[in-house]
Amino acid sequence: MASLITCPHCGTRPKEEFTIRGDAAPRRPGSADRDEAWYAYVYIRDNPKGRILEYWHHAGGCRRWLVVDRDNLTHEVFGVVDAADFQRTEAAE
Amino acid sequence: MTLHFLHRHVLEDHLAGFETRPNPNHVNVARRPVILSVLAHSGHEAAVAERLAELAGGSVRFCGPGEWLVAGPALLGEELADRLGEIPGASVCDQSDGKVLMAIGGPSARKILAKCVAADLHGDVFAEGQSANMLCCHVASNLARTGADLFEIIVPRSFAGSVFEELMEMGREYALTASFSED
Repeated sequence: MASLITCPHCGTRPKEEFTIRGDAAPRRPGSADRDEAWYAYVYIRDNPKGRILEYWHHAGGCRRWLVVDRDNLTHEVFGVVDAADFQRTEAAE
Repeated sequence: MTLHFLHRHVLEDHLAGFETRPNPNHVNVARRPVILSVLAHSGHEAAVAERLAELAGGSVRFCGPGEWLVAGPALLGEELADRLGEIPGASVCDQSDGKVLMAIGGPSARKILAKCVAADLHGDVFAEGQSANMLCCHVASNLARTGADLFEIIVPRSFAGSVFEELMEMGREYALTASFSED
């Protein structure tokens, strides 16, 4: 059950090279948004079982933040993108 | 009172007492390498990469997007820094005193490194001339393939002792030897 992450910059690497930050789904509210929105963004997290988007930091390699699309039950990895590209596509939507 | 500042390599104590006649599997520790880090400014990544590709004198190591290490012989030191300084959109920083360069070569080099790094080093995946940052003996380092059986590891100076000891331990069954190289 080796967790191999294919970094878009470095190639296939073991999970030991990465640090996991957490869910990549929450979107940062605007500075003028209500406190409730900020509270939800900072503290409220789902605890899903199955496919999730997560921020992973490739600390032992290119030192870039990545967004890993994986299943936390089967450890299957569906896709890895650089966090900058992820935000760009998200902004374009 | 006069003070004499002598250049002392960080691995000096680790290498003392080792047999100096090299075996087929051998680690060459560069005594005074020149290592410069190059960072491309935002938006200039491709242009800087292009200029680095045609750089003469130093070998360019890929670290991450817009980030490279350039390693060269001590003789070229200032010249190399000047040449890199001319590249528009790039920032250059001398890392020579902060990094240690070790070259491991020999028929079993890949087998030894297989116990140190968790990346695939097969020629089809990690070809000659390719380089990347990876964990080597639990230390974030830069590994480059400079020949079919020749690899160069660049590690932070303070971790060099630990990486060197572990590398030698892993190479013991292949009779790995180590010495300083003069360039």
